[in-house]
Amino acid sequence: MDWLEDELKQALRRKEPSPDFEARVIAAAGRRRPVLSMPPWRAAAAAVLVITGAGAGYRHHQGQIAKEQVMQAMRLTGSKLNRIQMQMKAVRP
Amino acid sequence: MTELEGVVQTGFDFAALMREHRAMVFSVAYHFLHDRDTAEEIAQDVFLSLHRNRGAIQSAAHAGFWLRKVAVQRAIDASRKRMRRPQVAMDDVPEPVARGAPADPMLGETLRRLIATLPEAPRMVMILRYQEDLDPSEIANLMAIPVGTVKSHLQRSLALLREKLVRRGVREE
Repeated sequence: MDWLEDELKQALRRKEPSPDFEARVIAAAGRRRPVLSMPPWRAAAAAVLVITGAGAGYRHHQGQIAKEQVMQAMRLTGSKLNRIQMQMKAVRP
Repeated sequence: MTELEGVVQTGFDFAALMREHRAMVFSVAYHFLHDRDTAEEIAQDVFLSLHRNRGAIQSAAHAGFWLRKVAVQRAIDASRKRMRRPQVAMDDVPEPVARGAPADPMLGETLRRLIATLPEAPRMVMILRYQEDLDPSEIANLMAIPVGTVKSHLQRSLALLREKLVRRGVREE
């Protein structure tokens, strides 16, 4: 090895980053951990489940509202029919 | 799972790996880019990437190889991103005040600045050869280039640096 290679080894010897480097990386890793600990496929599957579940829940909720409306309509119709029947009885001699 | 439980179950000690390899990762980026702040950003990014991919790390040796490879890639990526910025040409590197002696700090800085002006591939080859003490086949494996190309980059870069230093009167042949 000649003088230039010796000088290069000296010039390019490893250097340390700033003293707080390790603490900064560990803090950043800690901040990211909840998100980063989940593999992408699992995150995608969770998103699909949430969307599917929300869709099913919404459809169920809409079905309940429609059912309530039908029941209310039937109750109104029933009471009207009763009233008409009572009036017809009263009119008859 | 706590960090300690993770170490026990997987053998993966993130803090210990960072202590062991931080100088290597930081120095690859620093010597390649000649910019301390960017080198620290890259080093942090490399270790966070290791943390994200800790499930794929098989051993401490594998972690070392993985870190070096990712550091090389990230440093090259960062260099490409700032390609549009004005760069210092080799001839613009200031002349050293005094002639160099072995381990002369002025000569060391001149060499680092000259290396920073080399093209991307030969620059990284020189760093891996003289900072990391890797042989040409290891460098070829790490950079995914032929061994012959590595040897060629080394020879040409050494010849170029020698010529520049001699022209500046740093060292007589």
